[in-house]
Parts: sequence; C-alpha cells; structure tokens
Amino acid sequence: MTGTGFGKLSTARLLMVAAIIAIVSGASVGLGVGYVIHYDAPTTRTFYMFDRSLPFNETLFKIPHDTFVPDTITVNKGDHVVIHFADIESTPEGHTFTMDPPYTFDAVVYKDVTQGGGVAGTFTDVPGAILGQSQTATITFTANWAGTFRYFCEIHQPTMTGYLVVIG
Amino acid sequence: MKFLRWSAVTLLLVTGIIDLYYGNSFAGFYENLWYVMGGIYIFAALVIASNIEPHFSQLTVFAYTLFLWSVWATVALETGTGLDAVAYADKAIEVFLAVNMVLLFRSSRRV
Repeated sequence: MTGTGFGKLSTARLLMVAAIIAIVSGASVGLGVGYVIHYDAPTTRTFYMFDRSLPFNETLFKIPHDTFVPDTITVNKGDHVVIHFADIESTPEGHTFTMDPPYTFDAVVYKDVTQGGGVAGTFTDVPGAILGQSQTATITFTANWAGTFRYFCEIHQPTMTGYLVVIG
Repeated sequence: MKFLRWSAVTLLLVTGIIDLYYGNSFAGFYENLWYVMGGIYIFAALVIASNIEPHFSQLTVFAYTLFLWSVWATVALETGTGLDAVAYADKAIEVFLAVNMVLLFRSSRRV
C-alpha cells in the first residue's frame, strides 16, 4: 500500500473520501430506484365479487348458468389482495371460491350479507371456501407469484371461473 | 484488532441473512435486489474473515455499507417503502457495521 496514491492518504481522509463517494452515489441510485418503483410499490387492493346467474336454461344447454363477477382481477406482484365475496343467490344455492396452486388464502365467512349475524367460520391458508345463500366471505392473500391463476367455483364448472392476473 | 475483525464478520453475516430473509418474506418487491445485497454482505464477511487485502476490502465494505444505507434512505423518503421493523433492524445493524469498519480500518492502518 505504501508508495501508492491510496497509501499516501491519511486514514481519516481516506475514510472521508470513501464515505462521501458512497453516500453521494447511494443517494443518486436511491433517487433513480425510487423514481422507477414509485408507481408499483405493493399496496392493498380490494375487490367486491359476486355470483351471477345468466338468463338461459341450464338443462337445455347442459352447462351451469353461474359466473363470477368480476371474472378477472388484476394486481401487481407483492400486492395484498382483499376480496369480499358474496353469494347473492335468490334461492338456496352454495358457491365455493377456490384458487389453483400455488395460491392459498385466509378467509372469514360471515353468516349473512350484512355480516351482522356473526362469523360462520375462519380459515387459514386454505385453497377454497364454501358459501351458502346470502353468506359473505372476506378473502385475503398476498400475490406472491406472477402469472395468470384460475379462481373457480367447484360446484359450477366450467362456467363459474375467473382469473387472477398478477403482473410481475 | 482481531475482535474488531470478527465483530465485523458477525455483523456482515447478520445483515446478509436479514437481507436474504427480507427478500424472501417480501417476495414480489424487488426481492432479487435484496438477495444480491445479502449475497454481497455474506461474500464480504468471507473476505474480511480471510483478511484478503485488508486495507482495500475494509474500506470497500465501509463504503458499501454507507452506499446501501444511503440508497435505502432516499428510496424510503421518496416512496415511503422499506419503512418496517425488519428494515429498521437491518439499517441499525448497518450503522454499527459502519462504525466497526471505521475502527477496524484505522487499527489495521496503524499496524
């Protein structure tokens, strides 16, 4: 080290120079990174989801007339997703909200639409939850994997199917 | 000096592991960047432990620590991200690491 420019500088001066260079370059990079990620930082995205019955004869067409509304939800990778799913059937008919792997979710199922009737069940890290007529569920998960993933009702396939689109 | 070297190695390893954990648990938010930062810290721990080119490596690790601290502070100020308990712990350890590197560098230059 002795004899070189690096070695000739005093310890305090070397540390000072290194600190200034590091802090200035770090701040420059930080400002750049901050600008780039500013618009897609993870956030909580809330959706309201319902079942819908299309006006056709199920027996005649031999497929269920039930669908999800919305049938596509789009989030950014890392977002915390909250789905309020309500079974709004006018007749006693259940629906499940089920997700394809690798996604699982936490769910709180309420006894009625107003959620004033209390909790029917609490589920952690499950692939699916079932709701009866007029029940609602709050479904939460983090969109950790980018891609397109199916969510569906196990009872009403193939029509009651939607897609979670995670932009990575 | 030996104590300062090994405390630096410990702090580097701890910070590296926290960065890897952060990248893993906050997957989806530039996790690869955290993996790289953690990987570099762990690599730096090995270099400091091996005492390879001590003057250069100690000064570089000191600068790298301040560089990352500065990046975090500006990104946090600009976007409000990275303001959580894990990041605070990580950055607090980095402050100790920076002080440790200053003391280590000073003592190794005296030898």
